[in-house]
Amino acid sequence: MNSPVPEFQSTGRYYLSAELAAIVNMAIKMEKPLLLTGEPGTGKTQLAFEIAKSFGLPMEILRAKSTFKGEEACYVQDTVLRLNDARFGVGDSGRDVQNFFDYIIWGPIGRAFLLDKKVVLLLDEIDKTESDVQDNLLDVLEDCQFTIRETNTVVKAKHRPIIIITSNAKRELSDPFLRRCFCHHIAFPTPEEMREIVRLHLPDTDPGLVQSAMDVFYELRRRGYEKAPATSELLAYIEALKHAGVTELDIHNLPFPGILLKRTEDLLAYRKSAHR
Amino acid sequence: MFLDFFIFELRREGISIGMQDVLTFYRGLSRGLVANLDELYLYARLCFIRYPRDNDLYDRIFLRYFQGIDIPAVAEDDLALLETKQFRQWLKQAIEEHRFEIHPHFMPLEELMKKFWQTVREQMEAHHGGAKWVGTGGKSPFGHSGSSRGGVRVFGGARNFSAMKVAGERRYVNYSEDKSLRHDTMRAALAQLKHLKPEGAESILDIDESIRKSALSGGEIELVFKRELRDKLDVLLFIDNGGSSMLPYVSQTRQLFSKMKRELKSLRVFYFHNTIYSYVFRDPARTQPYSLQKLLKEKDDIRVFIIGDANMAPSELLSAYGNINLGEEETESSLYWLERIRERFRHTVWLNPMRRDMWPSASMTLRRIAEIFPMEEMTLGGIRRAVERLNRS
Repeated sequence: MNSPVPEFQSTGRYYLSAELAAIVNMAIKMEKPLLLTGEPGTGKTQLAFEIAKSFGLPMEILRAKSTFKGEEACYVQDTVLRLNDARFGVGDSGRDVQNFFDYIIWGPIGRAFLLDKKVVLLLDEIDKTESDVQDNLLDVLEDCQFTIRETNTVVKAKHRPIIIITSNAKRELSDPFLRRCFCHHIAFPTPEEMREIVRLHLPDTDPGLVQSAMDVFYELRRRGYEKAPATSELLAYIEALKHAGVTELDIHNLPFPGILLKRTEDLLAYRKSAHR
Repeated sequence: MFLDFFIFELRREGISIGMQDVLTFYRGLSRGLVANLDELYLYARLCFIRYPRDNDLYDRIFLRYFQGIDIPAVAEDDLALLETKQFRQWLKQAIEEHRFEIHPHFMPLEELMKKFWQTVREQMEAHHGGAKWVGTGGKSPFGHSGSSRGGVRVFGGARNFSAMKVAGERRYVNYSEDKSLRHDTMRAALAQLKHLKPEGAESILDIDESIRKSALSGGEIELVFKRELRDKLDVLLFIDNGGSSMLPYVSQTRQLFSKMKRELKSLRVFYFHNTIYSYVFRDPARTQPYSLQKLLKEKDDIRVFIIGDANMAPSELLSAYGNINLGEEETESSLYWLERIRERFRHTVWLNPMRRDMWPSASMTLRRIAEIFPMEEMTLGGIRRAVERLNRS
C-alpha cells in the first residue's frame, strides 16, 4: 500500500455528514469508484469538487449526455482534420498524416489518465447515457485503463484517479457497471441537517425565519408536487425573504411561491389549495 | 467466521452478492477499514448493496443480526403492519403481560400501531445508549468485549455517526420493492420504464462512407452523414379511471403516467371503465370515443400498458352486451376485445394497483384477465418485472 492517505474533510460551506465522509474515505482507501445516487439537491456533484478541494487535486469532469457514445470520454480522432491534411497537406503544422496520435483529441478520462498527478475524475449524470456506453466504461472503472481501438494501444492511468460518479436515476445502470463501484444513495437531508446546510450558506439569518421557511419547505415537499422543491430552492427562498424583509410566513399565502415551486401545474395546484 | 454468517444472511434474504464482493469486503477488513460496528455497517453496505431498493432490507437484517431487533418490513404509517408476525408476537406478549389498560380489541388501530413502534424505538434506544450489544446470542464479535463504541479507531471518519441511529431511521423504506408507489419512488419507477429497449436513428458523420466517396471523387473530400440510434419508443397506455373500485388508485396512476408523458414522447393515453370494449376514450371524462379497431391496425411492436384492478362483475367481462355503460351496448364480449389486443401487440402487460396478496380474494375476472395478459402489481418490483417481460416478449 502507498503512503498513508490523508482523510477527506469538508471545507467551507459544503455540509458533509459523518456518514458520507466515512464512505468517501473508504472508497478512496479501497481505490473503488464511488457511485452516488439521490435526488437533485443532495450535493452529489458538489461532493467531487469538495474532494478535489480538500486534497488540493486537479479535476477532470465528464458531463454525460444522452447522445454520448462513450469513446469520446476517453479520446476522439479528428477525422475531418486528418482527411483535410491528407488532401491539402499538413503545411507547417508539424502533424504527420501517417501518425494516428497526431490527430487524437483526449477526452476527460484520457486526460485524467495521462496526467502526471492524481486527479479527481467526475463522471456526472452517468444515467443519461445508453447502457452500451456504460459497458465501454467497465475497463476504465475496473483497471483504470482503456484501449485505443484504431491502434490497439492500451492507455493506463499513471496515477489511479479518485473516481466519483453521479446518477439521478433517470434510468437504472447496468449490473456489471454497478458491480465495479461502491454505491451510495444519499438520502434527502433531514430537518436537522438542513438547518446546518442553511447555517453554512447563510450564516447570519434569523433562526426564526429559517425555521418558518423550513416548515413551509418540508410541508410543500410532503404534498408531493411534480417537482418537489430541493435544497437550492430553499436557500434562494430564504435569501429572497431576507431581502424583502419578510419575518413571518403563512403557508396559505406565501410570498414568492415561484421560488419554491417551478412548474406551472404545481403553482396552480398550490394556489388552488391556498384559496380553499 | 461470524461475518460469513452475516453475508449468508444477506444472501438468504435475496441480496445478490458475488465472490468478488466478498473478496473486496475482506480486503477492506484486512486493510483496517473497519474498527467498530458503525464502520462495519457502512463498509458492508458499500460492498454489498447496489440498489436503493435493498437499503431498507439491509438495515433490517443488520439490526436483527447484530442487535437482535427484528423490525417488520413496513413503513410506520402502513396498516400492513397488522399482518406481520412481529406485530402479532408483540401483541400476544403484551396481552399476556397485561400491558394494556383496556383490551387491545377495543383500541383504535392507530393507537396500537403507535404503541408497537414506540416499543421498537425504546428497544433500539436501550441498545444505542447501552454499554453492550445484547440479544445476538453471542454471535456478535463486539458482544464479548462489552463495548465496541469508543474502542480503537483506525480512522476518524465515522465521528458522530451511528449505524444504530441511521439503520433505525429507516430512511430507505420507501424505496423497497414491495412498497406501493409514492412520490419519492416515482423516479425509480420511471427509471425502470426507461429500460424499455430503444430503437431508431439521427445524424452523425459516416467516416467509412466519407472516405469511400472522397476516394471516388478523386480525393475531393465529401462528407457523408448517417442516422444515429435514438430512443424511438411507442407506448400505449390504457387506464381504468371509472368506478369507485379504482378511485383510491387513480391519483397514483395519474402521477406515474404524467411523468411518463414527459419522458417518452410517443405516449398515447386512453381511458376505459372497468374493462375494454370496441372503443376506448381519449379524455378522462370518457366523452371522446376512439375506435379500438383503429388502434389494432397500428404497428405491432408498440408497447402496451393496461392499468386497472381487473375487478368487476363477471358478466361485464364475459358476456356480449356486457357493457354496463348506458347506450354503449356491444355485440362482442370484453374478453373478445382483450384477446384482440393481446394478439395484435406482442409487448403488452397489465399493471394492477391492487396488492398481489389480495388477488385471490378479488373477482374471478382478475384471474381470467391474468390468463390473457401477464399481470404485475403496481409496485417498483412489479414495474421492474413488467418491463423485463416487455423486453423479452
